[in-house]
Amino acid sequence: MFEDRPDIVERVVSYLKRPVRIDAALDRRVMEEIASVAPPRARGLLTAWLTGRRIAVSPLGALAAAAGLAAIVVVAYRGALSERAGAGATGEGVARQYSFVVRAPQATRVSLVGDFNDWDAARTPMRRVGAESAVWTTAVPLAPGRYRYAFLADGSRWLADPAAPLARDEEFGPPSSVVTVGGS
Amino acid sequence: MGIDSVETGDAGLVRRVLAGDARAYAALVARYRNRLGRYAFHMLGNAEDAEEALQDAFVRGYRSLHRCNGPERFGAWLYGILVNCCRTTGARAARRGRVFLHDDAVVSAAALPGPAERAEWEDLVRWALARLAPECREAFLLKHLEDLEYGEMARLTGAGISALKMRVKRAREQLQVLLKEAERV
Repeated sequence: MFEDRPDIVERVVSYLKRPVRIDAALDRRVMEEIASVAPPRARGLLTAWLTGRRIAVSPLGALAAAAGLAAIVVVAYRGALSERAGAGATGEGVARQYSFVVRAPQATRVSLVGDFNDWDAARTPMRRVGAESAVWTTAVPLAPGRYRYAFLADGSRWLADPAAPLARDEEFGPPSSVVTVGGS
Repeated sequence: MGIDSVETGDAGLVRRVLAGDARAYAALVARYRNRLGRYAFHMLGNAEDAEEALQDAFVRGYRSLHRCNGPERFGAWLYGILVNCCRTTGARAARRGRVFLHDDAVVSAAALPGPAERAEWEDLVRWALARLAPECREAFLLKHLEDLEYGEMARLTGAGISALKMRVKRAREQLQVLLKEAERV
């Protein structure tokens, strides 16, 4: 068994913490690359923030609420997605009405947010199935396509749908789920 | 850190970018270049790969800026993107043979650097870090370089807190073994 030598590790850490200077030319390369990228737009939840109705959800900020989130996620059972006959059309193809259901017993309000409503928590509030129920539901019209979505409990806690695949985003962000609506 | 001449806070700059002012993003890049670059450099072991990961992270950050739900925490949010970019770049570099293998057998049997190579403490540290498993090096750097809490680390890496604690412990132990052995030679 090796002798514990924390001083060596401390020396390593001390060295590592020295400032590192990255070539400033990196800035130019980044700006050149993003010049060909569609500019990001303020929308959805961020729009709410910009307009003063801030929704305090951030990747690290959500850590403080991690315990509460975990509790709800654990008890959240089946976020069932069921198709109902519906009418209307959005985007490409004919839209049908889809119901989203989630169990969130600790929540006082829940919203459905996703690509279909610009991640705007105000646009698709969910309603309790019964007065004392822990089950929340709502329905939205969806044209054929692939949509990312999540549930937002009490304006600050993200819930991915346990009954749906997780979105595999390359970007760092709160958890979300994916639903693919087929054409018919 | 970064440029001090930019007085606008992160949230203000993010707002400007989202309002269409792409130039404001240059200020964010300059502000975080060295800060994030330090992690990338030590995680990947060389400046070329670090700059590749860093550039990738900044571009991805720009593309998904509308999903940064706490603009005042832009730095922490971008940090999460960087961690993923370093994983991708590190895996790519490993396939190119730029970095060392990382299993336990290789660590214990790794040839020590020669006298010229270990003339500098910095070289020795880089040599030892390169021999840690990527997930152990990542955990060690997040804990001891960035001083993150385990909860934050779990959020960034997707790993459990127990696993992260074990990785940090293993990293510390392996660094001690490697550096002690190197000092004897």
